[in-house]
Amino acid sequence: MLIDSRCFILFGANIVLLYLTQLVNSSLSAWSLHLMIIGPIIILPALYLRFRDGLLCCLLTGLWVDAALPVPYGLFTGGSIMTCSILYTLRHRFHAEHNYHPIVLSHVINLAALILVSCTLSYGQLGSYAYWAQVLVTALLSHFCLLFIGPWFFNLERLLFNLMHVDTDPVDLPIH
Amino acid sequence: MFMVCWWALPAFVKSFTRISFTEFQAPAWVVSTQLDRLEDFWGRRSHSKIELINAGKELARQKSYYQALAQRHQVLEAEIDRLGSILRLPNKREYSHEIARVIRRDLSAWWQQLIINKGRNYNIPKGAAVIYAGGVVGRVAEVRAYTSSVELVSSPNFRMAASFENDNRPVVYQGSAQTGLGAPHGEIRDAPQDLIANSQEPLKLLSTELGGTFPSGLVIGTVRWLEPGSSGIFQAGEVHLDKRLLSLKEVSVLIPINPEKYDYNAD
Repeated sequence: MLIDSRCFILFGANIVLLYLTQLVNSSLSAWSLHLMIIGPIIILPALYLRFRDGLLCCLLTGLWVDAALPVPYGLFTGGSIMTCSILYTLRHRFHAEHNYHPIVLSHVINLAALILVSCTLSYGQLGSYAYWAQVLVTALLSHFCLLFIGPWFFNLERLLFNLMHVDTDPVDLPIH
Repeated sequence: MFMVCWWALPAFVKSFTRISFTEFQAPAWVVSTQLDRLEDFWGRRSHSKIELINAGKELARQKSYYQALAQRHQVLEAEIDRLGSILRLPNKREYSHEIARVIRRDLSAWWQQLIINKGRNYNIPKGAAVIYAGGVVGRVAEVRAYTSSVELVSSPNFRMAASFENDNRPVVYQGSAQTGLGAPHGEIRDAPQDLIANSQEPLKLLSTELGGTFPSGLVIGTVRWLEPGSSGIFQAGEVHLDKRLLSLKEVSVLIPINPEKYDYNAD
């Protein structure tokens, strides 16, 4: 097959996660709270798929996020492709078939995304206490929720592989 | 490698992909709003007939009250027009109101925007003022086929001319970084030295026509203290915005009736 069908399954799962996150954010706005759950969307495409397919999934997901949020176009696309490339080169170190490594990685990537957005969209308020206070609240809340969302999301993606009768194991690891 | 390709990509390709992805996402949000309305509908169906009859009576009372107010409003408008023609005042800016439902709220440290369910299909112009019962909501930042995004008055990117109640001197209002779990707020600059504000008697900040986007007299927020600004000549202070801004469900977009007369990018 030209493109691994799991690429589209993972892209679909990413869309569901992003949509649900935005729905929750819309409801949380009354309390000035915000969730940023970006980390998990890159993990399994980078750890399960061939480089080209993982890149395609991350490209589509990045474009989707860039279109959904008022960020400079290409910020998340570039970020997710770069992260996918780095993860791919290191993936022989991680066990993608269990949740432990993907969860740790999703926290690290989510934190990196938070820092990237905080520095890119600060509007000259990097010295503002209020700005960093809200970034801190957002980071703490997001990572707390990620403790529960991460395992659910990775299990959902694997369940979708089972339901769609596709290969449930990562493709061959790169030769080093 | 990707960065080089992305940088070299023609702008129309980027614009096309962005618009395509955005328009592709819009129906999902419209559907979620419809589901919300359906939920409201079924929630109301659970009320007893007695409750509905009482609510109907209350609505009828409110309707007659607002009808009387509308008549009074017409009389006053006619009086203003008459006096304006006698004094040869310039024509007032006229707006038509387009009521839109909020389908998504994105409020964070980095962006403060609402998505409403009307776009080019209702001739919503970019830069139009958006208001609600409590005053100013923000300005239309982007117009799409069936949705529009509104930049909130609390966004650090939002700036407008304002004035205090019973004081015509203009001040500059700007949104500011929001603190989590708190009410939204902004800040003002260039307030005259003789103004005094305190928490017992806060000053009410209103919109002016100077920017060209908003009609005058709409409430922006209240100012509870003023202190000397960085220049030392004027005062600056924090503006407390209405907490309802964070949970808006319906807003009104002010569409200028004669847009060619005014420059809406002035502020």
